[in-house]
Amino acid sequence: MSLEARATGGGATAVTGDVVRQDDVVLRAQEGDVDAFETLYRTHAPAVHALCRRMVGDEREARELVQDVFVRAWERLTSFRGQSALGTWLHRLAVNVVLERLRSARREALRTVDGGDDDDRFTARAAPSDADARMDLDAALARLPDGARTVFVLHDVQGYQHEEIAEMTGIAAATSRVQLWRARRALTRLLDP
Amino acid sequence: MTEYTADPTMHLTEEERQTFADGSMPDARRREVGEHLRDCASCAADVERLRRLMTRTREAPPPTPSASLDELWPGIRARIEERKVVTLPTRTPARGARPNGGGRLRWAVGLAAAALLTISLSLALRPRATQTAAGVAAGDRVIRTDSALALTAAVDSARSYQEEAQVLLDRLELQRAMLGPEASAAIDRDLAVVDSAIAELQSAIRHDPNDLRLRQLLAMSYKRKVDVLKRVGNAG
Repeated sequence: MSLEARATGGGATAVTGDVVRQDDVVLRAQEGDVDAFETLYRTHAPAVHALCRRMVGDEREARELVQDVFVRAWERLTSFRGQSALGTWLHRLAVNVVLERLRSARREALRTVDGGDDDDRFTARAAPSDADARMDLDAALARLPDGARTVFVLHDVQGYQHEEIAEMTGIAAATSRVQLWRARRALTRLLDP
Repeated sequence: MTEYTADPTMHLTEEERQTFADGSMPDARRREVGEHLRDCASCAADVERLRRLMTRTREAPPPTPSASLDELWPGIRARIEERKVVTLPTRTPARGARPNGGGRLRWAVGLAAAALLTISLSLALRPRATQTAAGVAAGDRVIRTDSALALTAAVDSARSYQEEAQVLLDRLELQRAMLGPEASAAIDRDLAVVDSAIAELQSAIRHDPNDLRLRQLLAMSYKRKVDVLKRVGNAG
């Protein structure tokens, strides 16, 4: 294959009709083929974006995170052994990348559930003063504090259990439950006033 | 979890409402709470509200990106290429660290390394011409991260390898008399490949002196030159 063809991805993808032979593409990407990795990016980027967008509640930050996730995926792709689907592996990787970002940028965000001050701030931020009955879920999620939004997305959207969330985020499982309930309450005020 | 009491005048706790709505309440408690909900319109309405949220969450379509995610790829690729081709040591490698192997194989490896350098250079330079404005912005943002330190390190590495290459070149000239014409020509061909890449990089750097990738590639190409010259020295 010519250098130009490789650089543009022409002829480099293992595609039969619309079906990508993902295993072949993964193998080639693991061997250092950036064009194959681009195919994986195009396949999985929407799901990774959706996860990042909902977890951080901000489109610009979500797009930065999508880049971080795929750069990290490239670096660690050789550790993918194929026991799970690549999408599952990428999903967990993306969760970790987002949580790292939240930890470094907002160190206290995941732990702030116990104080009364935080209750006030939470209520104010999610107050339905300008609530729109047609507001969509993602707009409402963006209004939640980071900790509550993270737990809500991981539990109610992604299906993780509180014990798993506790392990991933470093908070107690009981704290995760409280965050979830508060997130739901805030969302019902915003979406179902 | 708080103990449920059958007193219909007492409303459900928040925990009972939430866990009943999401189905995580144990069956035994669930039956009791269900009985309360049949008699208490207030609690029933609240639980129903929570259930509506859960249904809405399950059925919500994934968020739509503000712009095509394809625009992010050039930035990702630039970061990948950066990691892929640049592994600069912080100090000049020890001389003669590796024992010398077979002559023909060594030259093949040397040529392959030079060819790889040329390919890497082509790939590194190509995206600038084709990526979108958003991609350029994303790539540049990343490259700017730690750019001052990285740029200084790349310049230092290039200078260090350049000086070492010059010492080895001087030594090579002394060895030439002992080399056969074929070996001497092969060395010159290999050096020409590397020098060509160096010249191309230097030309590009003159136009963009702060381009980290170019600086790093220049350092790597000088290292290639050092490697080629070391093989000659070891062979002698």
